[in-house]
Amino acid sequence: MELLSILTPMFFALVAAGTVIGIIFGAIPGMTATMAVAVCLPLTYSLGLENGLALLLGLYVGGISGGLVPAILLNIPGTPSSITTTLDGYPMTQNGEGERALKIGITSSLVGGLISLAALYLFAPALADFAIKFSYIEKFLIIFFALTVMAALSNSLLVGIFSGFLGIFISLIGAYDISRGGNGELRLVPEFLEYYLESGFSLLPVLIGLFGLATILIEAEEGMKEGKGLSGVKIGGKPFKISVFKGQIVNLIRSSSIGTFVGILPGVGGSAASILAYSQEKNFSKTPEKFGKGAPAGVIASESANNGLTGGALVPLLSLGIPGDSTTAILIGAFTLQGIQVGPLFIGNNPVTWDAMIIAMLAANIIMFLVMVFAIRHLAKVVTVPKNILFPIILMMCVVGAYTINYGVMFDVWTLLIFGLFGYLAHKIRLEIAPFIIGFILGPSAEIYFVKSLESFGTFSIFFTKSWIAVLLWILIALSIAFSISVARKKKRMTD
Amino acid sequence: MSFDSPFHVTIDFNTSHMIFPTIIAVILGILFVSILITRGSTILATVSNGNWWPAGIDHKRFFGTIALTVIYFMAMPAVGDIFPNTGLGFYLCSIPYLFALSTLYLHERSRRTLMIAGANALIAPSLVWYILSELFNISLP
Repeated sequence: MELLSILTPMFFALVAAGTVIGIIFGAIPGMTATMAVAVCLPLTYSLGLENGLALLLGLYVGGISGGLVPAILLNIPGTPSSITTTLDGYPMTQNGEGERALKIGITSSLVGGLISLAALYLFAPALADFAIKFSYIEKFLIIFFALTVMAALSNSLLVGIFSGFLGIFISLIGAYDISRGGNGELRLVPEFLEYYLESGFSLLPVLIGLFGLATILIEAEEGMKEGKGLSGVKIGGKPFKISVFKGQIVNLIRSSSIGTFVGILPGVGGSAASILAYSQEKNFSKTPEKFGKGAPAGVIASESANNGLTGGALVPLLSLGIPGDSTTAILIGAFTLQGIQVGPLFIGNNPVTWDAMIIAMLAANIIMFLVMVFAIRHLAKVVTVPKNILFPIILMMCVVGAYTINYGVMFDVWTLLIFGLFGYLAHKIRLEIAPFIIGFILGPSAEIYFVKSLESFGTFSIFFTKSWIAVLLWILIALSIAFSISVARKKKRMTD
Repeated sequence: MSFDSPFHVTIDFNTSHMIFPTIIAVILGILFVSILITRGSTILATVSNGNWWPAGIDHKRFFGTIALTVIYFMAMPAVGDIFPNTGLGFYLCSIPYLFALSTLYLHERSRRTLMIAGANALIAPSLVWYILSELFNISLP
């Protein structure tokens, strides 16, 4: 009954608003679902947890889905996860099948989203039940594992690990948290900043800086060039028929499952999911020569995989408290705003919120499908919104978000600038932002788990001998490092 | 933290706040040196070809964005102090900031594009200020 009181028209209106705004963000090249969630997060202040999550989950699903519009019509991936959609989507547009390609992509997105939602509903509670039994040692090793997986899937293992540890280091700035068993002493803080940094850098201004301001600085560096418009792009042409999915059921299910699995791996983005699904479909296809020339199967693989990520990425967040990707990292902020900690106890302690999240995700997927199918011709026009109008508004919203997050602290606005510049610099020197963020979010927990384990047991060997789970985690850590080294060697051999 | 044997440690609670940061700093140092060793040749090649940042970037738009943003951040609390608890610091500073930034990003300045930039600079902050500050009572600078 409590759930029914939450599922008000307002709840569904927020899901719909979030989905539409998310589609718009996703459809504009250079703007991402992560940015949409970061910029709109302060709006959830006055909404309450469930309504706030309704808006943010709508933004997440819409943002991931919207990326297919410019990918198919302009050959520009609206979000990184749409990168493989361009390979066959754009040739279809060139062949006069733009609308057909869009609708194939939209339908595949819906299927991917629903399959991943089912996985979320089934796996997250089971994983959370299992994770409740974890001690500080297993929790520390899971964080360590998450960082190595992310680093292993980065362009360079060393740089990925470095970025993750840098994130941890910066998260330790401030006092050693008394409320979690620390001694309350400040560290790594210059004297003149002690007043501002007692609790360290706030998470959300950091995220907004990294994803909002840094993106705009990168665009500014490149001169804010306007993309090619829709003139000359033929959206209509050959009509869409559902029969195009005949013989594609295996592709749909396999690609959605790949997306969901990749989403469950912490910190791995949608681009990895769609690339993996696309290459698998091409390998299994009887007509691989058609790929890259306008094969509907390529669009199906790519779009079902990147939407498959959405539910998958929420599994580690809601069961272990570890974000599955950078967008779900920002969702942690929504929970923090409402004073709720995500982790193994979340689903058991908040069953109504959990159910509301599932319903919001389901509604977001359906609304995304309906909006994009029936309004795709109008929505496609958003790819031509001038950047000189859009980006200043985004910057203003970034400021609002940073300022309001702690009820009006100007230092948080400066934090936004500091991390915006840092994000730009990281882009220039090719630091990996995803491991950095996960390190920044999980650093304080990792510290508590590590130090308290040593205080209790007095030996480093406990990290290897505590339980079979600890041993298994060390094996997984070793495997992820070995995988990365093997991929790097293969790459080197190919370039030689 | 003191080491009783290679694996055994005793933690002093009073200094426990420095254990983890020290370990992380040491690991960061090792990783940094490893990156320098493994990528030394690439870094040296980049340095020696002389194509240093900020060469090749759009100086006007990049540094203009940073300069305008810093001025905006400094102006907001100053103006906000004149009209405390009204959010007017945000509102009154956002209008010129948005107009300046929109104009900076324009590639072809005409009467029409400047009018659109001006209208955007007026409407967007007004809407945000009204919705957040007036309707939702969210504090703004």
